Amino acid sequence: MTVTEPKPTIDLSVSPLGRVEGDLDLRVTINDGVVTEAWTEAAMFRGFEIILRGKDPQAGLIMTPRICGICGGSHLTKACYALDTAWGTTLPPNAILVRNIAQACETMQSIPRWFYALFAIDLVNKKYARAQGYDEAVRRFAPFVGTSYEHGVVTAGKPVEVYAIFGGQWPHSSFMIPGGVMCAPTLTDITRSVAILDFWRQEWLESRLLGCAYERWLENRTWEDILEWVDENQAQRDSDLGFFIRYAREIGLDAYGAGPGHYLAMGTFFEPSQYTTPTIERRNHALISRSGVFADGRDHEFDHTLVREDHTHSFFRGSASLHPWEGVTDPIDPEDGRRQGKYTWAKAPRYEIPGLGSVPLEVGPLARQMVAGNPERQAWQDHDPLIRDCHEKIGPSIFLRVLARLHEAAKYYRLTRGWIDQIDLHDRYYLKPTEPESGKGFGATEAARGALADWIVLEGGRIANYQVITPTAWNIGPKDVNENRGPMETGFIGAPVADLHDPIELGHVARSFDSCIVCTVHAYDGRSGRELSRFTVNGMG
Amino acid sequence: MATLLWLQAGACSGNTISLLNAEEPTVIDLLTDFGVELIWHPSLGVELGEAAQKLIYDCANGERPLDILVIEGTVIRGPNGTGRMDMFCGRPMTDWIRELAAQASIVVGVGDCAAFGGLPTVDPNPSDSTGLQFHRDVKGGFLGADWKSKAGLPVVNIPGCPAHPDWISQVVMAVATGRAGDLALDEYQRPSTLFTTFTHSGCTRNVFFEYKQATMEFGQGTRTGCLFYELNCRGPMTHSSCNRILWNRQSSKTRAGMPCLGCTEPQFPFDDLAPGTVFKTQKVSGVIPRDLPTGADALTYLAAAAAARISAPQWAKEDMFVV
Repeated sequence: MTVTEPKPTIDLSVSPLGRVEGDLDLRVTINDGVVTEAWTEAAMFRGFEIILRGKDPQAGLIMTPRICGICGGSHLTKACYALDTAWGTTLPPNAILVRNIAQACETMQSIPRWFYALFAIDLVNKKYARAQGYDEAVRRFAPFVGTSYEHGVVTAGKPVEVYAIFGGQWPHSSFMIPGGVMCAPTLTDITRSVAILDFWRQEWLESRLLGCAYERWLENRTWEDILEWVDENQAQRDSDLGFFIRYAREIGLDAYGAGPGHYLAMGTFFEPSQYTTPTIERRNHALISRSGVFADGRDHEFDHTLVREDHTHSFFRGSASLHPWEGVTDPIDPEDGRRQGKYTWAKAPRYEIPGLGSVPLEVGPLARQMVAGNPERQAWQDHDPLIRDCHEKIGPSIFLRVLARLHEAAKYYRLTRGWIDQIDLHDRYYLKPTEPESGKGFGATEAARGALADWIVLEGGRIANYQVITPTAWNIGPKDVNENRGPMETGFIGAPVADLHDPIELGHVARSFDSCIVCTVHAYDGRSGRELSRFTVNGMG
Repeated sequence: MATLLWLQAGACSGNTISLLNAEEPTVIDLLTDFGVELIWHPSLGVELGEAAQKLIYDCANGERPLDILVIEGTVIRGPNGTGRMDMFCGRPMTDWIRELAAQASIVVGVGDCAAFGGLPTVDPNPSDSTGLQFHRDVKGGFLGADWKSKAGLPVVNIPGCPAHPDWISQVVMAVATGRAGDLALDEYQRPSTLFTTFTHSGCTRNVFFEYKQATMEFGQGTRTGCLFYELNCRGPMTHSSCNRILWNRQSSKTRAGMPCLGCTEPQFPFDDLAPGTVFKTQKVSGVIPRDLPTGADALTYLAAAAAARISAPQWAKEDMFVV
C-alpha cells in the first residue's frame, strides 16, 4: 500500500514465534514509520507440563527434549540436573564432562545454522540494494546458493556427530540420567570426537567464520580490539564475521533492537571437581559459564527462588505471578482469553530484584556474555570482558546480539576440546542413585538461545508438579500484571519500518532473539483496522 | 520435478532439524539437484509474506499442483474441537490440513506425532492432539480410516521421534523420482523398506542378547550386556532401521548405551510414562520380561533363554568394547 495519511498508525502481529511454546504472532503499532508498541502472541499449545503430572519421576528426560527439537539436548541437560538435585545423586567427574561436551556440541551446531539459515538471509533483502556491501552479502548469504550458506548449514552437523558418539543420536536422545550418563566411551570414541571437532574448526570456524586461528579471535577484549581485528589483514576482513561486522553497521543493525537492558544467565557447564554432589545451593559456585543477573548496570547473584511466572495476559485461567514450584498451567479457549485481555500461550517470566521490583530479563548469548563480564569469579569460571565492553561503548542492538552469538562459537570450541582431554577412560560414568519418593529439584542450563530451566516436585514416587521456563518464554513472553513488556516486545520499540509490505526490520529483531519459529507479521492500519500487509518471518525450533 | 509443501502443526521441529543432518543427499542438494521443488517450508522457505501466503492458499485452492504434502507434528483439535490451540495464518491448522490434504497427490506424516499422535496425546492429552490417520495404534486419526490422497494412497507415515534424516530424504526422493509405486506400506502405513527389520537388527549388543547377558546398570559397564532385560530396551520389539542406517553417521541410542524407547511404534511412549516404567523393564512374576521379542512365545522363549544362559562363554560376561 502507499501511505498517504500523515502520521499513519499501524499494528503488526508476529504469529508463530517459537515452536517451543507454539506459534507466535506479533502485533506492533507503528507511528511515523517507527514501532511504538508491541504484543507477542504465541499461537500453539501442547501442554507438556500438564501431561507430566502424575508420571514417572524420570518422564521429563523423555518428554522435555521433545518440547523443542533444536534445543532438545539442552532440555535433557537441565531435566537431568533437576532430578539430580531432587534425588541427591552423586556424579562421577566423567559424567559432568560428557554432559558439558554434549551441551556445547548442540550449541556449536546451532550457531551456524541459525546465522546462515535464519538470520543472514534477511541481509540480502532488496532494501539494502544500494549498500556498498550488498553484492557481497548476496554472494555469501543468499538462501541455498550463497557461498557460505550450504557450507555453514551442512558443516554445522559435525558437532552433533560428536553428540551422537556420546548420546547415540541428535536430536532427541535421553542419554543423561540421574547419577551420570548412559554411555561409556572407548578410546576410539574419544579420538574420533577430536577429529570431527577439528574438522569443524578448520572447515568452518577458522576458514569461514573467522579467517584466523580461533585463539587470535579470543584475544579480543574490547570493541576497539574488534575494529583493529577487522582491519588486521585481508583474511579477517573478508571472513564471514569480518564482513558481517562491516556490513551490519553499514545497514544500521547497530541502531535498534535493544531489549530491556536487564539480562539473565542461568549459566551452564560445571567444573567437574565442584559439582559431584549436585545441589541447588552449590550450583552458581560450580558453574563454568556463569549465572547472574545484570540489571541497572549492576551484577546480582542469580537466585532461582526470585523467578516468577505471570499469566495475566496468557491463555490460562485467572491471573497470578507464581514461583514455578507453585506454578499452574490451566489452559482456556483463546477466544475467551481475548475477551479478558489475554493474547498469548506464553507465560511472562519475571525476576524479583530488590529495589527494582518484578523485572523482565533478556536471555540468550548477549545476556550470557554480559554476565561473563562480571570480574568477580572463581578460578574455573569464565571471565570475558569483550561483549560488556561493546555494550558500554556501542550499546545493545541487533548487531551486538548477533556478535555475542558468533563469539561463542570460538569459546565453546575451546572449552569442549579441553573437556574431551579431561575424560578418564578408566573411571566411571554413572553412580546408581537411590530414588527417594519425594523431593524438589531445580535444573538449568543455557540453550543456544538462552536460559532454560525445570522445576520439579516429586511426591509418592511420581511427579506432582513440573514447570519448564524456556528462553523463548523469557524473550517473547507477553506483558505482565504491571503492563511491563516482554523483552522482545521492548526490542521492537523504536524499530524503523521502511516498507510496510516488507517490514524486514521486524524480521531482523525477531531473528536476532532467535525466535525459533515461523513468525507471521500482520500489519494493520491503526485507525481503520484494515490489514495493510502480511509478512512471514521464517524460523526453526 | 515434484512439488513439496511442508507445514508444522503441533510440532517441536525435531524432524526438520533432523533432516538438516542428512548428508546423502543434503537437504539443500535434495532441493537443488534432485528435482524437488520446495513450495514452502517454515524454516527453509525463501518466499516471505504475501508471496508465501499466496503459495499456500494456491495449493489449498487447487490452483497450484501439490505433489507432496509433508506434515510434522500432531493435529491439535482443542479446545472443544475448535483447533484454536494451533493457529496458522489466522486460521486453525486443522482447516489448512484438511484442505491441503484433499489437494495433494501424496501426504507424508513425518515423525511420530504426525503419524500416530505421539507424546502430546499422552493422558490427559491437553491439546486434544491426534495423528493424521492414526490415534496411537487405532486407525482413524484426524483424516479418518478410509481417507486416501489423490494418488490413491493413505498417509505415508515416517515415524520416529524424530525420524532419521535418511528415512525422510529417501522417501521424498522415491516419490520425486517416480518410485512412489514401490513404497510398500505396513499395517501402520510405514514404508516396509525401512520399518520391517528391528532396532535390534545390527545392534552391537546382539552378542550379549544371544547369551542372555543383561546390562545391570547404566554408565559403568554399558559396554557389556544387553539393555533389554533390566533397562527396558524395546529394540527387539521395535521396527526401525536405527542400527542399519546409523544416526549422525556415527552411532545409535542402543550402541551408546541408551535403551530403545520404541519411538517408531504407534504405542510410543509405552505405558504412557507411568511411575515405575521409565528405563525399567516391566516383568511378570518379577523375572520374566512382560514384552518379549516380537513373535516369540513365552514358553519356548524361556526355554531358549535358559539354555543360552548356561552356554554363555566367559567373554559374553565381560567388557567386550574395552577402553
